[in-house]
Amino acid sequence: MKVQLQKKQVKFITFAPYLSAGFAFVIGAVILSLSGVDPITAYGVMLKGAFGTIRGIADTLVKTTSLLLTGLAVALAFKCRIWNIGAEGQLYMGALGAALAGISVIGVVPIIGVAFALVTGFIFGASFGLVPAVLKVKLGVNEIIVTVLLNFVALLFISYLLHGPIKGPGFNPYSPEIFPQSQLPIILPHTRLHAGIIIAALATIGMYILLSKTKIGFEIKSVGANIKAARYAGMNVSKSILVVMGISGGLAGLAGAILVTGVQHYLIEGISPGYGFIAVIVALLGRQHPVGVAIVAFFFAALISGSEVMYRTLGIPSSFAITLQALVLIFVLVGELFTRLPNYKRGVSI
Amino acid sequence: MTHGTSEISNKDTNITTKFFRKFKRDIDSQGKDDETVSPSSTEHDRDPLVLMKGITCRFGDLIANENVTFDLIKGEIHALLGENGAGKTTLMSILYGLYQPVSGEIYVRGNRVVIKSPLHAIDLGISMVHQHFLLTPPHSVTENIIVGLKSSGRIFLDTQKAEKKILSLSNKYGLKVDPNAIVGNLSVGEQQRVEIIKALYRDIDILILDEPTGMLTPKEEEALFVVLKSMVNQGLSIIFITHKLREVMEVSDRVTILRNGKVIGTVRRTDTSETELAKMMIGRSFISQISAQNVTHKQAEAILELKNVSALNNSNVLFLKDLSLELRKGEILGIAGVDGNGQSELAEVIAGLRKTHSGQIIMASKPIINLSPRHIREWGLAYVPEDRLHTGLILEYPIAENLVLDRWYAEPYSGKLFLREHEMKEFAEKIISDFDIKITGLNAPVRSMSGGNLQKIVLGRELSRNPKVLVVHNPTRGLDIGATEYIHRQLIKQRDNGVGILLLSLDLDEILSISNRIGVIYEGKIVTIVEREKADVDQIGLLMGGKAAKPNF
Repeated sequence: MKVQLQKKQVKFITFAPYLSAGFAFVIGAVILSLSGVDPITAYGVMLKGAFGTIRGIADTLVKTTSLLLTGLAVALAFKCRIWNIGAEGQLYMGALGAALAGISVIGVVPIIGVAFALVTGFIFGASFGLVPAVLKVKLGVNEIIVTVLLNFVALLFISYLLHGPIKGPGFNPYSPEIFPQSQLPIILPHTRLHAGIIIAALATIGMYILLSKTKIGFEIKSVGANIKAARYAGMNVSKSILVVMGISGGLAGLAGAILVTGVQHYLIEGISPGYGFIAVIVALLGRQHPVGVAIVAFFFAALISGSEVMYRTLGIPSSFAITLQALVLIFVLVGELFTRLPNYKRGVSI
Repeated sequence: MTHGTSEISNKDTNITTKFFRKFKRDIDSQGKDDETVSPSSTEHDRDPLVLMKGITCRFGDLIANENVTFDLIKGEIHALLGENGAGKTTLMSILYGLYQPVSGEIYVRGNRVVIKSPLHAIDLGISMVHQHFLLTPPHSVTENIIVGLKSSGRIFLDTQKAEKKILSLSNKYGLKVDPNAIVGNLSVGEQQRVEIIKALYRDIDILILDEPTGMLTPKEEEALFVVLKSMVNQGLSIIFITHKLREVMEVSDRVTILRNGKVIGTVRRTDTSETELAKMMIGRSFISQISAQNVTHKQAEAILELKNVSALNNSNVLFLKDLSLELRKGEILGIAGVDGNGQSELAEVIAGLRKTHSGQIIMASKPIINLSPRHIREWGLAYVPEDRLHTGLILEYPIAENLVLDRWYAEPYSGKLFLREHEMKEFAEKIISDFDIKITGLNAPVRSMSGGNLQKIVLGRELSRNPKVLVVHNPTRGLDIGATEYIHRQLIKQRDNGVGILLLSLDLDEILSISNRIGVIYEGKIVTIVEREKADVDQIGLLMGGKAAKPNF
């Protein structure tokens, strides 16, 4: 009897977020109809855009790659209670690293060329992520402020490079195209789907193993769960922060490197439409669990690619996608409050 | 049912009359507030002021109170005695309107009532002072007392009128407070007085005190008892929740003993003894004191030495000042002191969790000053911290993870890169059976476990290190007698194995009962260290309060 009740409770809690997300779409429908668009048609186009065609699915998966890697980056940091809001900047630095590697290496075997570009991107992102970590460990500087501000540093630095030192031929502020050896192969012909999705999937598995099976993962989790207890038990808090920010920045950097090697093939100013920021939402909604992050990343990717199609066919501004994302976030968080609070209250009176 | 009730009221009448006589005498000698008090007392001569009948309260599967009957007579101090988790606080929370019982009836002044909220309880003249004070530190005493009341001014607070009332209450009951003092600057004892006045300010005549002596020094405790006696002399009735036998014998008129949510009995203090109460409370013969063995420790070598150690506290103020002490092999050195005199800083400095400003710490002939916590642990330190919930454990983790918190990186609990879950679980099962830990599940977060079992996890982990030095800080605070006794036995076992144990405790009884030598810490300094046999309780009490600068005992 009791077990059954508990099962029901568990079920409701697992499904509550999806229900909440559903409400977000209802409100989205109201907004759509207020702007004179039939919501059913619009959502239909959106759904078809995201999943209806091979191209659509491929596009969704390409976006999933970026959101998943940045989402994992943010989730890992959050798991250790380090508030890394700088995934966007780390992504850009990773993109820069990959672009520099891609335009400077000639005549190598394809696999090594790609690997070199990706590793460089990872290292660039990791180094950029280590800046706030070192400041926090050595001087106690708040990482939220540093990571937020470093986003602007990265964006402006790359803007400067693209207008001067590494500007490629032509009128636009683009870098030269990277060599074909450094480009990620397309895994689904006639689409944009490249091998990056495999890397992202491997990263998800790797993160799962890191957090639940490894020694350093245990240390990271402990520092995040209770820093006082971790210190007391003889754990090295500084080391955990450095490792976490290194991996976190590296993963975000890898996302940037994949955008260069897999999608654009050269570095441009707006290479990311804010993946590093959406990643914060993805990490929160995915409850910092690799699998949760993967699900949410896929969902948000579909939302973005679907609304791009909606824009092209119905002329609905793409900012509607951002509105929907915000609505989903608000509804899921509020929904969580409602599903967990009664339990909490009951828990107190118990 | 009817029969039972009449029996109770018969017995009560008897006692009530006796109390009334005593009460009457008191009033006669006082002669001021007589007119207001004495008619009402006649009116309730026959009935108890409060009667809780057949109260049952359940939380999920847990039965907190089962068919509990409790009564309070006007002008008495009624102690509610029981171990932690016996249901004392729950019962009183019901009376204070915080919880609703599943069944049972409550009568106040003879009228049947359903107490819906604390506000309702206050209306009925009942107030409760909680174990943890509910005061806002930055505000003044007056502001804290009148908060939430309507009567004070229209737009601006009318504090003058309130101050007057506070001062008159303070004089009436001997509760010394300065209405303009900032609560954050007050000592624990003073804050408690503020809490009591806050209750009295609301014109109540039934006061519930939940473990009021938990954080007081012996001196403050004495002062509190004087106040309580003066309050009942002036017509108040008090329910006093406690698990300390000594206090029951000192202040109460009657005692109701609860065990596992049930009433074991209600007795008059004059008809009982500490031993009998202890038996009723824990339901088995109670070993009152584990005697410190008369081993000669003077010859034993020092295992931990602190020489002129100074350290800052969390607000960067020099808090430990030239502190020196020597801990020998196979002894328990008890350090008594009022909370906040440097106990935490001392423990943390030894454990490497706090930077040492100057001085020297030598453990097993190795200077350990400013080494990393892990390094010091590996050199032979085990440390049971004061705050077991937030420092000693990670509550979200299951038991196995908590048990390897300090050794997860080493063989056999992990290899080069990966944790070995199997070995971790095996170790957990061993500690669970060695230390008789009651778990809710091997994979359940330890959050759901009771305080005693949580402390056993910490102790199990620390003792399984086979330490040379064991630092324990308030190891039995908030634990019931059974768990306390268990932990004391474990400490003594370790001592007999040659471990040097530094016991920092606020509980003077604990220090007196298991230490071989006793020291007092006051304002970051060890004031004195004496052999247990030569220790004088009154002197220690005075030193804890910083009264005697240079002791001669």
